[in-house]
Amino acid sequence: MSNEVEETMKRIQSHKGVVGTIVVNSEGIPIKTTLDNTTTVQYAGLISALSDKARSVVRDLDPSNDLTFLRIRSKKHEIMVAPDKEFILIVVQTPTD
Amino acid sequence: MYLVASTIFCTEPMMSDRKAELERKKAKLQALREEKDRRRREKELKDVEEAANRMLGGAGDRKELDEMLSSLGVAPVSDILSSISSANSLTPDNSINHTPDSSLQPNSLVNNIPVGKRKTPQLSVVVVQSTIIPPKETVLYTKQTQTTTSGHERDAHATDYYVLTYDDGQGEDEEGSLPHLGGFGSKLPPGILPHGLPQVKEVQPAVTAVEQEQAKQEVKEIRELSEEEKQMIILSEDFQRFIDRAGKIVERALGESVDIYTDYIGGMGEDGLDEKSHQRIALNRWFYDERWSRHRCVTSLDWSPQYPELLLASYNNNEDSPNDPDGVALIWNTKFKKTTPESIFHCQSGVMSATFARFHPNLILGGTYSGQIVLWDNRVQKRTPIQRTPLSASAHTHPVYCVNVVGTQNAHNLISISTDGRLCSWSLDMLSQPQETLELHRMQSKPVAVTCLDFPHSDVNNFVVGSEEGAAYSACRHGAKAGIVDTYDGHQGPITGISVNAVQGGIDFSHLFITSSIDWTIKLWSLKDAKPIYSFEDSSDYVLDVAWSPTNPALFATVDCGGRLDLWNLNQDTEVPAASIYVEGSPALNKVSWTPSGLHVTVGDNQGKIWVYDVAENFAHPRHDEWNKFLYTIQELRNSQVDEELEKLNLSVSSPPLSSMSSLSLTPLR
Repeated sequence: MSNEVEETMKRIQSHKGVVGTIVVNSEGIPIKTTLDNTTTVQYAGLISALSDKARSVVRDLDPSNDLTFLRIRSKKHEIMVAPDKEFILIVVQTPTD
Repeated sequence: MYLVASTIFCTEPMMSDRKAELERKKAKLQALREEKDRRRREKELKDVEEAANRMLGGAGDRKELDEMLSSLGVAPVSDILSSISSANSLTPDNSINHTPDSSLQPNSLVNNIPVGKRKTPQLSVVVVQSTIIPPKETVLYTKQTQTTTSGHERDAHATDYYVLTYDDGQGEDEEGSLPHLGGFGSKLPPGILPHGLPQVKEVQPAVTAVEQEQAKQEVKEIRELSEEEKQMIILSEDFQRFIDRAGKIVERALGESVDIYTDYIGGMGEDGLDEKSHQRIALNRWFYDERWSRHRCVTSLDWSPQYPELLLASYNNNEDSPNDPDGVALIWNTKFKKTTPESIFHCQSGVMSATFARFHPNLILGGTYSGQIVLWDNRVQKRTPIQRTPLSASAHTHPVYCVNVVGTQNAHNLISISTDGRLCSWSLDMLSQPQETLELHRMQSKPVAVTCLDFPHSDVNNFVVGSEEGAAYSACRHGAKAGIVDTYDGHQGPITGISVNAVQGGIDFSHLFITSSIDWTIKLWSLKDAKPIYSFEDSSDYVLDVAWSPTNPALFATVDCGGRLDLWNLNQDTEVPAASIYVEGSPALNKVSWTPSGLHVTVGDNQGKIWVYDVAENFAHPRHDEWNKFLYTIQELRNSQVDEELEKLNLSVSSPPLSSMSSLSLTPLR
């Protein structure tokens, strides 16, 4: 079972331009990561807070709606956030030319 | 004084008389003064004496005193008193010396005395009243402003009412916001003050407490997670399911992002490039609008010079819906995956040709079936033309199949040619009448039914046209021989498309042009030769359009009525197209056009669909030796053509008709 998790993580990580992959729980605590500890903790805390906020925005706009995906594109990176009830998958990638 | 002095110098006899007169006047004045002084002294003495009498009670005592003092050599009391009392009159005395007019003196004396007397009654009555009245007035003024607002309330005017409510709302807001700011006490009685303050105190601690708690929790929980716990979570079914789902989504997103955010050139992954190198043409997308392009034949395609991703397409009428406007022009965007047109324009007559007004990014020009030139503006929220040329004999009265903007930023013209052979050049600032007109005639003044037009790169004078008779012509706008210059006969049917080689590079190929025709052939011409260099006869249907690649000198595209798109690379093969593809559904393809980058070919069919095909990069882009190679290819084609003719002639010579001898002698010259 855990092999599949590893495989998926590896597959994502092997994508061109992917810098790091982090899985955090609903409280923003990292469970799996490919980045170093301090970066992971920073990303985990900030992104989970942002994702919570984004979800509340979507739900406030329409109570029957829910957040499914969040992409943050910045000058240096693109952060993809796939939130779920209990976990959040965060993928950081640099745009390729 | 100066005047007097000057008169003294000037007139000697007059002087003595004058002097005497002056002396007299002075004496008179002196007498008057003395008289006055004397009177005053007498009066003052009287006053002083009276005062002294009042003060001392008896005059006798004072007289004795005076006598005593005078005997001792001291001035008598009365004298001293008089001198003291006349202290005020000392300045009047001086003023008298300076100014003879002494009338002011009594006045000042008169004034001084009554003021002192009036002062007390005036203060007691007037000043007190005046100080009371002004405050009353200001109070009244503030009351007045209040009454005017209440007056507005009574008025039933809508605007007044809104203004009033707005003001009231503001006032409420201000009042409501005050307690939060703590500026409450100034307005409300002190009894309410304690009521407001506790509210603020209660809220703030509550918020901070929650935040602090959350922060603490986060810190605690991050510390709490151990490796074992993590492993537990990872092994849980929920987590597995989540990773499976989220992983897929992210992977899709990652795959998509490569497509979206990178440009067309590097767009495909390595796998994609491999596939594409096998496949020189691949369908990218199509443009179609159910409402505006359905069942309408695409009549022209043009690319915006300012925004290379914008494609202008013009459409003919839709016979199925006679109520809709006949002519439509749509602007499509090839940059975004948007399925609707960027702009929609239409007019009453079918648009046979359309072009971006090269130096005006917002203007679009169209030539219509009726002969009018129409002008649309994408800044105006209007789909109909903002301007159109009149339908008059001075302009076009036949369908306009070709429009083109030529020239430079400062001097450019719109060139339009109708099927009666009339060429008009227009200034975009004045569409009421053409700047100049030119009739394109064959010999014997037969008008040329022009179906297609092309200008060599950056040329404004010379151009080539294709005609319905099957001949192509070169022509020029200005000069002694304005009009048709040369005729290029060869096609057996009407010419449908013409294109001049416009690739910039080491060698100039702008004398080369190709034509497509109803006779199933495509012919390559040089402006220098009356006969075609080569005829491509691979198609088995009407060839409806042809276009040179803007980047590769040896590459051109053709479309035919059977739905086939061919790409010819003359450096690779001249017998068969280098790449060819059948458009889905085999619609009749009416127009073909390259994107300015040369990496895409767009094809317009007769059902209103525009197909965008990607051309493989290695195929679209010329290699550095492409120009030399192409020159060599052209030479080879010419040689083989000459050989063919010679062979034909040799055959005819062997069975000798004498008349062909003359043509034989001519051929080596070519």
